[in-house]
Amino acid sequence: MTILFGVAAGIAFLGAVGVVGARRTLYAALSLIVNMLALAVLFLLLDAQFLAAVQVIVYTGAVMVLFVFIIALLSPGAQERLQPLELRVVVGALAAVLFTVVLVRLTLNGITVTPSGHFHGALGPFAPALVDRHGQVQTLGEQLFTTFLLPFEVASLLLLVAAVGAVHLARSRRAHP
Amino acid sequence: MSPQLFPGFIGLSAAMFAIGAMGVLLRRNPLVVFMSIELMLNAANLVLVTYGRYTHTMDGQVFAIVVITVAACEVVVGLALITGVFRRGRRLDLDDLSELRQ
Repeated sequence: MTILFGVAAGIAFLGAVGVVGARRTLYAALSLIVNMLALAVLFLLLDAQFLAAVQVIVYTGAVMVLFVFIIALLSPGAQERLQPLELRVVVGALAAVLFTVVLVRLTLNGITVTPSGHFHGALGPFAPALVDRHGQVQTLGEQLFTTFLLPFEVASLLLLVAAVGAVHLARSRRAHP
Repeated sequence: MSPQLFPGFIGLSAAMFAIGAMGVLLRRNPLVVFMSIELMLNAANLVLVTYGRYTHTMDGQVFAIVVITVAACEVVVGLALITGVFRRGRRLDLDDLSELRQ
């Protein structure tokens, strides 16, 4: 399991670097797809099977297809090149390393994980074995429609607003002066 | 899931977030900037699911689903904006888009 984590994490990291460092926009999109697929493997390792499926279907299946479609439509090509030893790239890499260290220190501050694999302190009722017995999608759906009903409805409203807004923005202006 | 991997997940997520932030700051192509934002949202998702797994709660996964929804909305509106800007005969360069300041 550790080996699988190492491989998936390495691929995800390389994909992330590829998004920022790629010369062509299409290569950046392909790197992001690789990164998201590796992330789906990591979700499987974290016992989130439904989310791994959603990650593949929604992100790599829908969002990235939209990206590739727009790239093919606009065909921006290679206009900008990040030279490896350019000053802003070096400063950016250093800042990224520093930012990572700060984030890890802040996130792990005061957290200890017991040898049995969970935090000290109160644990929630959804132990992975219990969730597996009850059904992962079932548990998630029950939570979505009871405890998190309001965020769920707000998210659906947001989707509607985004669809209407995209249609309005993409409409030809000559048709409606 | 072994507890030794917990810092690994957090570290990977932090690295992805930092790389995405640098992408937003360094690149001038709006499409790459949007992809960097997606990268940062994915990093946030990974942290949410990791904490949910290790605290035995479902909240992390529910929040991750909401984040995925928001990311999809953001991509749709953002790409419509980019298409609109491109149609007006501009180059795809964020530094050229200064008209919103006036």
